[in-house]
Amino acid sequence: MQHMVQTMNQEPFENLRLELRRGCLVLAVLAALRREQYGYTLRKTLSEHGLEIDEGTLYPLLRRLESQGLLASEWREEDKRKKRFYLISSGGAQVLDLLLAEWRSIDSSIQAISKEHNHGTD
Amino acid sequence: MELIERYLQAVKFWLPRQQKDDIIAELSADIYAQVEERETALGRKLTEAEVEEILRQRGHPLLVANRFLPQESLIGPVFFPIYRFVLKIFAFGYLLPATLVWIGLMIFSPSYRFEQTHASWFGAFASLFSYLWFTTCLVVVPLTIAFVVLERQQDRVRFFDRWNPRKLPVARNPNLIPRSTSSFELAVSLIFFLWFAFNLHSTVVPIGLTVAISLNPQWLWFFWGYLLLAMVNASLAGLNLMYPFWTARRATLRLLSDGAGAAIFCWLMKANLVAGITAVNLSAQQAIAMTQAINDWMSRLFPATIVLGLVIVATDVYRIVRLKSAGRSAS
Repeated sequence: MQHMVQTMNQEPFENLRLELRRGCLVLAVLAALRREQYGYTLRKTLSEHGLEIDEGTLYPLLRRLESQGLLASEWREEDKRKKRFYLISSGGAQVLDLLLAEWRSIDSSIQAISKEHNHGTD
Repeated sequence: MELIERYLQAVKFWLPRQQKDDIIAELSADIYAQVEERETALGRKLTEAEVEEILRQRGHPLLVANRFLPQESLIGPVFFPIYRFVLKIFAFGYLLPATLVWIGLMIFSPSYRFEQTHASWFGAFASLFSYLWFTTCLVVVPLTIAFVVLERQQDRVRFFDRWNPRKLPVARNPNLIPRSTSSFELAVSLIFFLWFAFNLHSTVVPIGLTVAISLNPQWLWFFWGYLLLAMVNASLAGLNLMYPFWTARRATLRLLSDGAGAAIFCWLMKANLVAGITAVNLSAQQAIAMTQAINDWMSRLFPATIVLGLVIVATDVYRIVRLKSAGRSAS
């Protein structure tokens, strides 16, 4: 029975999880790009920290953030291959600080709400 | 590495012109970095099958390119539900009835069927399809263009900023029967009952002083049938006036009465009821021709009455279903 409930909930859970992660990825990318990196190493950095992101999502996101002036990029040769290196801009750093504050505020609100709910159902 | 170049070329085809080279250079660097990392880990060159696997994991070139394209739509999510609603009205208000009338005519009207199928049945279907297709194009194409224009003008004109809650439609309970409707139905049923009882109780119906229509003896079945139905409808309207909410029982009674009324009316159309006409200055031959013409026309209207009857019955059935489902969700 429990297995059936788990299977039934799997799809909505997966959709909601992706939706939740989508917003967080911007935060993670901006934070990771405090240090200059190119796309592939950035993807590896995020993956090592438990945030898997496929290239089809990462590169369009990097372009969007760059077009919004939050990132700066530069083509350079490294290991005999041309690579595009990204770094957070000063505007991006300010936005990241605001987003992190927002993130913490959301986190504490969710914590408080879920604690309240747990007390209510105990 | 030919596979990688083929893959990049396939992705490049779909990319926006100004960004093609830039995106492909970055994607290429990413793929080669992944390949090199795998080769370093394995201590050898990757086989073609392994490269193929890497590319497969990245997804179809069109999907990969699509992620870099701006999200575009002819009609956006704001207008699309309205667009779909208008299309539904067209489909259910015109296409479906037109098809049903055609089917009705093909089944019940031999002359129409002969006219349509004298070449072949395939020709008849092709003629219906081309007619519906032409009408659909005539409606759907301008409608789509209008919605595309609305979509493009949305930001400039700001349709959705100019609205007033007071101008929204009044909240309506579909199970409430307006007393005005019940009063009207009661009045119509009673007037019909009296007019019918006093004027059509015999098989000879005088119209003014100079014309009389003779009806077949079958008419008396229709006469009593409609008189009974008028009484039932008047009683139901009176009941609805006192208790202005649909109940499953009353909705079923309405279905039975409407169904019986529609069935009798359809039968009436095919019954060749008019036996003769007498009028001053009308010769016997003219009277026969006129009698024949009236019966023919009534017979030709038979498919239309069937469609009308089906629509009425479907509305009544929908009311019962709605009441039952509301009852289930309440309990």
